[in-house]
Amino acid sequence: MTIRLDRISKSFGALTVLQELSLTVEPGEFLVLLGESGCGKTTALRMIAGLESVTSGRIEINGREVTDVAPKDRDVAMVFQSYALYPHMTVAENIGYPLKIRQAPNSEIQARVREVAAQVQLDPLLGRYPRQLSGGQRQRVALARAIIRRPAVFLMDEPLSNLDAKLRGHMRAELKHMQHDLGVTTIYVTHDQIEAMTLAHRVALLDHGRLQQLGPPAEIYNDPDNLFVAGFIGSPPMNFLKGALKAGRFEAPGIVIGTPIRGEAANAVAGIRPEDCALAAAGAGDLDAEIYSTELIGDHVLVTCQREAQTIAIKAPKDYSADIGAQVGIRLNPQSLYFFDGTDGRRVR
Amino acid sequence: MTIAIPATQAVARRKLGAMSPGTAIVVYTLLALWTLIVLFPLYWVAITSLKEPIDVSTGPYYLPFVDFQPSLHAWRYIFVDLANDTFRPYMNSVIVAFISTTLAMLAGSMAAYALARFTYKPKIGIILLFILLVALVVAAVMHWSVDWRIASASGLALFFLIGRAVAGRLRRSVGNSDILFWMISQRILPPVVAAIPIYVMFQRLGMLDTHPALILTYMTVNLPIVVWLMYDFFVGIPKDLEESAQLDGAGRFRIFFGIVLPLSKAGLAATSLLVLIMAWNEYLLALFLSTAHAQTIPLLVAAQNATRGPQWWYMSVLIIIMILPVMALALALQRFIASGLLLGAVKG
Amino acid sequence: MRASFSAWSERQADRLFVLPAVVVILAFSIFPLLLSAYLSVSRFKLAAGGYEFKFIGWLNYKKLLFGSEQFHFVGRFASVPLWCWAALALLLYWVGRALLLYLRSGHTSVLGLVGRLISAVTILGIAFLFATTLGQGGQLGSAGVTILYVVVGVAIQFAIGLGLALLCAQRIHGRAFFRLVFFLPLMVTPVGIAYAFRMLADMTQGPLSPIWHGLGLGAFSWASGAWSARIVVMVGDAWQWIPFIFIVMLAAIESQSKEQLEAASIDGASFWQRFRDITWPEIAPVAATVILIRMIEAFKIIDLPNILTNGGPGIATESMTLHSFIAWRTLDLGGSSAVAYMLLFLSTVFSVSFFNLIILPMRARRQ
Repeated sequence: MTIRLDRISKSFGALTVLQELSLTVEPGEFLVLLGESGCGKTTALRMIAGLESVTSGRIEINGREVTDVAPKDRDVAMVFQSYALYPHMTVAENIGYPLKIRQAPNSEIQARVREVAAQVQLDPLLGRYPRQLSGGQRQRVALARAIIRRPAVFLMDEPLSNLDAKLRGHMRAELKHMQHDLGVTTIYVTHDQIEAMTLAHRVALLDHGRLQQLGPPAEIYNDPDNLFVAGFIGSPPMNFLKGALKAGRFEAPGIVIGTPIRGEAANAVAGIRPEDCALAAAGAGDLDAEIYSTELIGDHVLVTCQREAQTIAIKAPKDYSADIGAQVGIRLNPQSLYFFDGTDGRRVR
Repeated sequence: MTIAIPATQAVARRKLGAMSPGTAIVVYTLLALWTLIVLFPLYWVAITSLKEPIDVSTGPYYLPFVDFQPSLHAWRYIFVDLANDTFRPYMNSVIVAFISTTLAMLAGSMAAYALARFTYKPKIGIILLFILLVALVVAAVMHWSVDWRIASASGLALFFLIGRAVAGRLRRSVGNSDILFWMISQRILPPVVAAIPIYVMFQRLGMLDTHPALILTYMTVNLPIVVWLMYDFFVGIPKDLEESAQLDGAGRFRIFFGIVLPLSKAGLAATSLLVLIMAWNEYLLALFLSTAHAQTIPLLVAAQNATRGPQWWYMSVLIIIMILPVMALALALQRFIASGLLLGAVKG
Repeated sequence: MRASFSAWSERQADRLFVLPAVVVILAFSIFPLLLSAYLSVSRFKLAAGGYEFKFIGWLNYKKLLFGSEQFHFVGRFASVPLWCWAALALLLYWVGRALLLYLRSGHTSVLGLVGRLISAVTILGIAFLFATTLGQGGQLGSAGVTILYVVVGVAIQFAIGLGLALLCAQRIHGRAFFRLVFFLPLMVTPVGIAYAFRMLADMTQGPLSPIWHGLGLGAFSWASGAWSARIVVMVGDAWQWIPFIFIVMLAAIESQSKEQLEAASIDGASFWQRFRDITWPEIAPVAATVILIRMIEAFKIIDLPNILTNGGPGIATESMTLHSFIAWRTLDLGGSSAVAYMLLFLSTVFSVSFFNLIILPMRARRQ
């Protein structure tokens, strides 16, 4: 089922939450809407669900325009951040509720509930109430309630954010597997870039109601379109240095680096990911800095250096050690440098 | 430092936990005193119901079997001699209180829910038009002796005609909070202001001294309480639940009756108990609207102040049988009451 | 057919949800208010084949405020002692200053000013009313008596109710028992309470009569003294309504965070300091709301004075509702409605002033 958003906007009075968002979700695709809270991602999702009216633009689901169609007639199922389980109904009643409303015969409801419950491994818990379940189990009930309808589209609003870190990793894998099995088009909202990178076929990164970049996770990571995308994706985030880009050279106080990039910008920002930096002896790198802290993360040591009130993060080998305050040199891999125009944030290629 | 921390904790525990013996004596004495103040009048009513008239008039006697010989004569009189004259008002009270409470809960919850979830923008002009037309109808009926049916019908017709014609041109409107305030503020209206008009209205309709008259009146009087207390309950219910049901295809009514109401049990219990007590004990409006047929039990109690002087023993029996069912109900719903009342009081 | 109905009801859901409440309130409050207004400016007369209403302008009100019913409604005037004039002057100064402060506050609106002026005039009028009627040879009318029940009665009820709530909020044994027992009077019908207190207050055969005898008051009858009768009415009302204040205040006290209290007591705050600095600011908005509810209901008092004292001795315990009811009994429908309207005016001014001038600022401060 294809979903097409055609320049949909949403404003509350003078406040615009979403500005002319256009994108097409292919059948069976897992699309993640990613962004900080308040970027308009949840509003976009709710507009697709029909819970929020559309200020301008049109929404098509499977070739049919649904812009003004009631939520119940759009054939979408939604998993809420809070799960929205009905506390006064058992697990079985919760899962079967969508069918009950559609006046399916009782026997069919029961059969389907059992079938779906087995799919998400809830069968032993059907008689319990939501308050008697753990977070992960509630999450599954919410999923089951969406699955049972066999909808054209799954909409998920931060479904994993209420789980603890370990469970979240587990549910992420389950979710991905399940979506693959069912093959249902899914739109998934999250602020967590790891969820976005691991789950999505394509990621749509939003900021201040505008689409910043749309593409597969690897593309978003390796080929950011602008400064915002570059700074948002990646953990720890990309390091930025201010300077000037001219005639194949990036120059900043104390730094001169050659680059194959032909573009120019007087007010440029150079970006480089922590894993593309290496530590060297003082004076031996492209720039010098002072060690601010070192943290052993496990497979690497995260070294934070300070230079003229600016910090630079570097992923060093796991056996690296240095004293706080020591002077070091930092080598930058010229192939991995990204350049942006400091005034409008556009990528300079 | 390491020694000081446990020491402060010990002080804190003593202060918050067990009281000092002196404080404890004062606290328990005061509690016991108030318990006595609450229970003694009830005790006195209870033993008075067991006294012969002579025991009351030569009293005071305090302890049955010790001071005086208890007798069931008053109970016999109320249940056997009066029989139907007791049961009829009693049943009237039961019918009126329960039905009016149910209706008030239903209409009040629906309105409260609607105000918590939908957006209303009634035009100020339309409201003023309505008030003006009602005033005109009242004046026509009372002053120019127009038949009330003709006046009301033409008033209503005029309202819809003019309303439809001017609605588009009106700009200024009021919002949900104004409607909520208006509904709740109806409680300020002293019943005595409305009593005579309501009396006149039911008289014209030939409904004086009937159950529906009392039921409708009590329902209105208690509606503001329901709207006020339930509104806060509904506001507190996560919207996600309703939106989820909406996506699943449930309509507004289904969401309300299937999801929202079952989730508000505590609020419904507390509110309906309060409303029920109000309706059960109501005196003034019953005095206006019922005489014989629909007479409620508070009126029967009041009527024991007969020509022969107050019949304390009969009254006492009636008071007891009036209190008992409410107490049973309150005991059953007790745990909801505080939380239910508090919600409304805190948020106003 | 069925499908189209459900579709229609779904479309109209927002209207259908409020419709019953709105219709009922309109029928039982807007209409009666207007009809009552008409009645209060007319005279009811039995006429051939029924009755008629004659429009007489504001004569009913004039009678209450300045005419033959003045003693009944407003009271009988006495000379105002000097200290009362002084107190009145002080009050005038205080009210005037509050108005001035409002005018200078920078967020003045016409509606706010008019409302405050009405509140100010009402407060001063009531103060003057009490000053003139409480002196030697003066007598309170039903308006004064009602305000007495509302202001003094509710203040006492609140003080005791809050005190009991604080007692019950301590770590005591049997809290569930006390909470339940203290709640009981709320469920007793006021009519029953009136009779019970008539029995209890009986100074010759009542349970307390040995005490009265011991005090040498055996021959005294509370029902014949204006103030003793008023006190008995207020005691009965307090007995019934203290539980309401108690239960709400207890819930409010219990719902506040324990950690703040613990922090304060570790800092060495005494019980009184903890109450004043932590508990009270936390529960004050609830307290104000509870007082407002009680005041609104207290204005409507009738059962107790009607049955306890029949409004007597004379008119000493007669509330405005009882006054209005008695007028209705004597077929003075116009007079009855006029009293009712005055009650509506007082009750509305009190409630709205209290809400706008006390509760709203309190809430604003907390945000």
